[in-house]
Amino acid sequence: MSSDAAALGCRLLVVALLCVLLASLSSAFLTPSNLLNVLRQASLVFLLASGLTLVILTAGLDLSVGANVGLSACLAATAIKATGSVGAGVATCLASGAAVGVINGLLVTLLRIPPFIATYGMLWMLHGLTYWYMAGDTIHGFPPGFRALGSGYLFGVPIPIYLMLVFLAAGGLFTRYTTYGREIYAIGANAEAARLSGIPVRMRLNLVYTLSGAMAGLAAIVYLARLNSAEADIGEPLTLPAVAAVLIGGTSLFGGVGSLSGTLVGAIILALVLNGMNLLAIDANWQPMVTGVVVLLAVWIDIMTRQRAGSRA
Amino acid sequence: MKQMSTAALTLAAACAVGSAWADGEKIALFTKNQTNPFFQTVRVAAEDAAKQMHATISNYVPTKPDSIPEQMSQVEDAVTKRPDAVVFTPVDFKAMGPALQKLNAAKIPVINITDRASGGEVVTFIGSDDYNLGLATGRHLLKKMNGEGSVIILEGVRGSVTSQERVRGFNKALEEFPKVKLLASQPGNYQRLQAMQVTENLLQAHPKIDGVMAANDAMAMGVIEALDGANRKAMVVSINATKEGVDAVKAGKLLATGDYNGFLQGCLGTLAAIRHLRKQSVPKEIVFPASVIDASNYKGHELPDSQRNCPKWEEVVKG
Repeated sequence: MSSDAAALGCRLLVVALLCVLLASLSSAFLTPSNLLNVLRQASLVFLLASGLTLVILTAGLDLSVGANVGLSACLAATAIKATGSVGAGVATCLASGAAVGVINGLLVTLLRIPPFIATYGMLWMLHGLTYWYMAGDTIHGFPPGFRALGSGYLFGVPIPIYLMLVFLAAGGLFTRYTTYGREIYAIGANAEAARLSGIPVRMRLNLVYTLSGAMAGLAAIVYLARLNSAEADIGEPLTLPAVAAVLIGGTSLFGGVGSLSGTLVGAIILALVLNGMNLLAIDANWQPMVTGVVVLLAVWIDIMTRQRAGSRA
Repeated sequence: MKQMSTAALTLAAACAVGSAWADGEKIALFTKNQTNPFFQTVRVAAEDAAKQMHATISNYVPTKPDSIPEQMSQVEDAVTKRPDAVVFTPVDFKAMGPALQKLNAAKIPVINITDRASGGEVVTFIGSDDYNLGLATGRHLLKKMNGEGSVIILEGVRGSVTSQERVRGFNKALEEFPKVKLLASQPGNYQRLQAMQVTENLLQAHPKIDGVMAANDAMAMGVIEALDGANRKAMVVSINATKEGVDAVKAGKLLATGDYNGFLQGCLGTLAAIRHLRKQSVPKEIVFPASVIDASNYKGHELPDSQRNCPKWEEVVKG
């Protein structure tokens, strides 16, 4: 626990260092409106990555989250256009997202396909389905009531930030203080031991994949509401940042170690990097390199602190 | 039903072997992906042109967008199926050279549309000029700004020819208006979400942005959402003239969009293939003059593709 806390503290230190660096280089950085802007940009990746964090905690992986956003957003866009109802859009996104998650879970637990392959196959199937469904079309222009979920404000703070905080709190309580949550960690640490100690491993795995799918559905709602438009390929660029946010956030690909607050920090680091490069007008050629260096540095610092905390313990 | 009519046409073609004017030519159309509405427009237009001329189209589209190996194997596939002609958009202008050579070796005539292919023989190239479109839309914006103020540029995918050329055109236009300041030129990768986030960030850094040049319509839509969200105003231009872009022009949200003219590319590409097969003349190159669509001339462009019709060859290609 103490090494976890140290690692989180360390990642916050990386965020703080980035902030100090950016504040000293750009006067536009350290303003309330820019910081809210960064958090709003981080919220989409965080929502997508939060369900994924649970999956990775069980030593699994969900590569279909981005494609899931694409399909859910396109289905919901059709539903909103057909009914004009905000509720229909939200329900479609969540239902479609969760349905994909249920199938992922069954692929992993029932057919025993390794999660990487199962969700990679799902990624392709979802892309194919979405391309076929949309046939190159774009659906745009949604009612203001729906748009508010992505672009609205409450007391001067963008709505997606509230969504992010709500799910951070709910997810944190779930993973730390419920039996289900602790069982997810136990499965990731050692699935066999978890099974022998009476944890219904398959049911818990089904649960985390379903949650991951549902969170992708939620991210699709925020995407649609912010961008006011759906097309078949919108999810594709989202998967890798989501995985990156989880890993930068200190959740181990081997399972059992990590936290949602870490994932939040990961999402914020990714958003900070883009924000900083834009504010400083860094040449387009250098941007991928800067991103890569920051990602590696963040993870390396994390590994170093873990080792130190581990050797002291 | 569709299959039956295809069969009938194929039969008709088989009966008329030897006649240079036979109906029922089989055209293979290669486009880059299923995702970009632009190529959907090309396919709809090609279908329309083929119907006019009583020819048939079979589509080859990589399932993974812009996949080089996939298009390569689709070309090999087409070579064995022997269409009468190929209308070809390379997913990558350099990497598809060998594919072009395979078509040349199989003596299947190739009409090159949209992006110029290199490394082999083509009957003709039909497309728009990215540089001139960038220049024309850039000029359009800067004139509307009365040659004063500040702008940002949103680039497409780094290293893609379209983005490189369009941005070069934007910069050339800026040279002609020396009083306009370029605040930043940042990559949006042709993606709506990234363009939105980049714009949100740039709005933080620059209290006043008067104009935005976006290398495609999807990015411009992201820019407009970012401007609306921040309660800021700027004139935005982009390129492609997709239905969404033209709708935004109509709604007064987008100042103008350069017409990349996918519909005409699909029409003329198919017509050129059929003309070539029927031994009629086809020029070595047809590059559309850069036309900019704004509030004054959007009419007709906002129709869904399925309701548009290909013009006759002679109406477009003079001489």
